[in-house]
Amino acid sequence: MVSDDVLRTHLQELRRGTVVVASLVALRRADYGYALLQRLTGHGFPVDANTLYPLLRRLEEQGLLTSEWNTEESRPRKFYRTSDAGERALDRMLDDLAAVQTSLAALIEGAPR
Amino acid sequence: MTTSLTDRYLTATLRSVPAPRREEIATELRASIADMIDGRTADGHDAATAEREVLNELGDPAQLAARYADRRLQLIGPAYYLAWQRLLIVLLSTIPAIVGVVVGVVTATTSDNPGNAIGAAVSTAFNVAVQIAFWVTAVFAVMERLGTQLNLPEWNVDQLPDEPVERVISLTDACSAIVFLVLTIAFLPWQQFQSVISSDGGRLPILDPALWTSWIPVFLAVLVASIGLEIAKYRARRWTWSLVAVNAALNLAFAVPAIWLLLNDRLLNPDFVARFAWLRDGGLDIVARISVTAIILISIWDVIDSVIKARRAAR
Repeated sequence: MVSDDVLRTHLQELRRGTVVVASLVALRRADYGYALLQRLTGHGFPVDANTLYPLLRRLEEQGLLTSEWNTEESRPRKFYRTSDAGERALDRMLDDLAAVQTSLAALIEGAPR
Repeated sequence: MTTSLTDRYLTATLRSVPAPRREEIATELRASIADMIDGRTADGHDAATAEREVLNELGDPAQLAARYADRRLQLIGPAYYLAWQRLLIVLLSTIPAIVGVVVGVVTATTSDNPGNAIGAAVSTAFNVAVQIAFWVTAVFAVMERLGTQLNLPEWNVDQLPDEPVERVISLTDACSAIVFLVLTIAFLPWQQFQSVISSDGGRLPILDPALWTSWIPVFLAVLVASIGLEIAKYRARRWTWSLVAVNAALNLAFAVPAIWLLLNDRLLNPDFVARFAWLRDGGLDIVARISVTAIILISIWDVIDSVIKARRAAR
């Protein structure tokens, strides 16, 4: 029997890269940190706040996100949106994700069990 | 007004974030924290508890800051670790010993006290080892932070060790045996000049000084030869039958004269014996008998042990 710790580590590894993909998809509609966190969690991508907030800044520095300050509401919020470069990168990543899915399906199909 | 927990958290986080981005991160993080608190108070928590929970969830400010600055939380990472480890092993296994021996020899020529020379050698070797470990690690830690490329050649099969022979004699075993032999050798001059027992005429040697011109050189030769045996054994990686024979011969060469001297009351310095009443009054006999028994048992056990290990290795 595989221990819970080992299983949890593998599941974390599996999920790690998908946070970036999910964020880029979700931010096709501009949003600020906390609202994005809520949306991702609601769609089955639970992510820690202390991971997501630094990640958004990093994606912005890499040019995958653009940002804009909104000062109209009660507190100033930074809204992120997926940039054109981010959209192109996202296409590649989604293709790759689909390729992984296809290969895995074929492997499961062909493998005796 | 007292500073809020959030203010203190922001200060602690921003301290180690690069200055140009500090202001912006502060504003954004403050808004995010406020949003998270609002989210919790909407669920019915009171504001103070919600603030504590949110900050606990965000975790160690230093870790959060490292994530913002994209800084790795490690002294020496996987890219440098093996190079660091190999360099450290090469340097530590050679330089301290060389410097120690040189310092020891130089001190021995200028000082008439062998104890001083050994002490100087050991302490210098230790200091050199600590300095090497510190500076090598410091340089690698700086390279890790600057992202310096090492440009080492790619590993390939040509770098495999020659023979994958299983090593039975470990380096630790060989080193500890050699250290023990060196200490035994060092004991001989030490007891002559630096013995803890003093008399009116100065330090009182434990062993009979007359032996320096007869048997002590033999013991020294046997001990030095034993160091050679340890090195040969390490290089051979295992006990071989010729090593067993040499080991038995060395055991005999040490045990026979030692036992003979003990039984004839010629090993210990007569002045040394005279200073202790219980040694004079029959105690010497008991000491001699216990020592002889110990020497015989240890020698026999050592030879049997080497035979067993040689048989096991020959299989």
